Amino acid sequence: MELSHRTLSLSGHYRELTLRDLEPAVALQLFRQMLRLRRMEEALLAEYHPAEEMRCPIHFCIGQEAIPAALSGLLKADDFLFSHHRSHGYYFAKGAPLKELFAEIYGRSTGADAGNAGSQDISHSGSHFYSGAILSGAVSISVGAALGFQLRKTGQIAVAGFGEGATDEGAFWEAMNFSGKRRLPLLFVVENNRYATFSDQLKRQADDNICERVRPFGVRATKIFGNDAPLAHRTLEAEMKRLREGDGPALVEAYTYRWNSHVGPEDDSSNNYRAPGEMEFWKDNCPIVLLEERLRERGMLDDAAKADLEREIALEIAANFKFAKESPFPTVKDWHRMNFEDASPMADRLLGTASRGGFDPDQAESKLGPY
Amino acid sequence: MSRQLSYAKAILEATDQAMGLCPQVIVLGQLVDTQSGIFGTTTGLVGKYGAERVQDFPVSENLMTATAMGASLTGLRPVIVHQRLDFMLYSLDAIANWLALWRFKSNGKSAMPVTIRTIAGKGWGQGPQHSKSLHAWFAHLPGLRVAVPATAYDAKGLLLESIFSETPAIFVEGRGLFSMTDDVPEKPYRVRFGQAVIRRQGKDATLVAIGSMVPVAMRAASLLEKEGIEVEVVDPRTLNPLDRKTICDSVSKTGRLVVADPAWLSFGAAAEIIATVSEELGDRLKSKAARVTLPDSHTPMSMALEKEFYPDENDVAAAVRKSLG
Repeated sequence: MELSHRTLSLSGHYRELTLRDLEPAVALQLFRQMLRLRRMEEALLAEYHPAEEMRCPIHFCIGQEAIPAALSGLLKADDFLFSHHRSHGYYFAKGAPLKELFAEIYGRSTGADAGNAGSQDISHSGSHFYSGAILSGAVSISVGAALGFQLRKTGQIAVAGFGEGATDEGAFWEAMNFSGKRRLPLLFVVENNRYATFSDQLKRQADDNICERVRPFGVRATKIFGNDAPLAHRTLEAEMKRLREGDGPALVEAYTYRWNSHVGPEDDSSNNYRAPGEMEFWKDNCPIVLLEERLRERGMLDDAAKADLEREIALEIAANFKFAKESPFPTVKDWHRMNFEDASPMADRLLGTASRGGFDPDQAESKLGPY
Repeated sequence: MSRQLSYAKAILEATDQAMGLCPQVIVLGQLVDTQSGIFGTTTGLVGKYGAERVQDFPVSENLMTATAMGASLTGLRPVIVHQRLDFMLYSLDAIANWLALWRFKSNGKSAMPVTIRTIAGKGWGQGPQHSKSLHAWFAHLPGLRVAVPATAYDAKGLLLESIFSETPAIFVEGRGLFSMTDDVPEKPYRVRFGQAVIRRQGKDATLVAIGSMVPVAMRAASLLEKEGIEVEVVDPRTLNPLDRKTICDSVSKTGRLVVADPAWLSFGAAAEIIATVSEELGDRLKSKAARVTLPDSHTPMSMALEKEFYPDENDVAAAVRKSLG
């Protein structure tokens, strides 16, 4: 049966997850990364309202941990990753420092962007991680990064992570057209979680078939069950290898599901947008649980090892909160400097000065043709 | 030794020199690799620098802008070209939601040195979708520089400055200026943003003229000179940043202000300039400030209406006379 949100919601517990040829260290790392991301998001979610110190919109990614965990093991330090507003998983995937994520959400000067961006606009340029809240905008910018890598023959790749909602936008299809034409080293990762805020994909698009639609543009496309972390790892690894060999671009559509509201910790179920039984299906197929089942079957994980891991993660999270809460708020220094760079070292080096002559204003205006 | 070069040739020379000076400079735009070369401003570059650095781009204005932005993050210095400013409006998301705030959003850690060339304004029969002059829209955005060069000299120096600066720039070229020549030094030189120039000294009134209104204003000043009126013509050259000091210094000398802006009357650059002067020295003005602009109407095609639509030196001179009472 063709993979889609409709067919998935009719199926039961997912039994196809296999560790097969996966190295044990990779399997365990996938588990560890998913658990770290899950616990981090749970902790932020739990802290959001009682403390009222995170004063920005946060789009939590609980339930969608498999793709970020898989990417985190495959991206190189000098690859670029572009993300949408549901950014924490991707920030995490690029290995950007989590304490700076916490501090950014808390609006502190030690945040990744010193409190200018918040959760949905966060970037960490030192880690080549960039995000923004206008869906396809970041996808479009990733095209330019990939073009830069191609022109400069650097061997780097760019990855754009986004949801199926971004494919409603024309900018997305411009990106398909040009990246396919130029064969760019660019990986598009669609986390199809079915809903753009509360709107079902099939209210917005004729069919749940993004892969089918991008292929004629010259974009190789694969769809996977996105909560199968080892499958995500294998798929992304194979695609990224081909991209590094010059065989791009590629798109991977990962079917997954967000457990929480579109934004914030508040419950948005009064909008009645989720299909009956859907949440139960996805919670039953939690990406962490699915992998944990196999790891335990294989004897690669036991209660003691998991407890150790939980302790380590809890300490990390506590340290991140502490760092954020103890950091100072930013102060306004110069609004102009925050927006404009007046220094121009390159112009200083390359350009000279000259003086004007006398401009004659009595010349006829030009009458340009069409081109 | 002076050398006359047209506005179009000055833009071509600036681009050519930038590409020669720095292998990271690339040019993207529809038809930039053709012989016609965007009214002669890119002609021959593809032969010299190759199709990787001078790329014809799909008719995808938004993606073109975003592509330049992403490429700039990898160390390239892209120049993108729009044959009409109207076409560029497809890229407003890339410009207003991403490019303008990139530096801000990253707390100054990431820059997008992108130059966006766009051609605007008066031309025969260009009508409502081929002539819009929206420099004020872009100048409204923090984080973007906006150049409105009026002469070939300024076009070359400001374009080089844009390409090799760290803040993204929108470079608005006046269609009517393309064949006009000026003294243009051969060497690569810079004209800095935020430095207005006094095109003509005068004591009776300050006439601030923007872009393609600069030659019109200078001709108006010549007409008025014959009547014994000495007009000081100030060309801001860039709107963001705007050299408010030079404008105010001139008005504090003359006591009168007329602004000629090749754009719509309401909410435009002329209003900003008059507001600035009012805030600084409104109580010292000898007469009411005035604007000479396009009417608040879209551009008509018919030459009969076009003639009425665009102000000329007589309109500017009349506004100055009125301000003198």
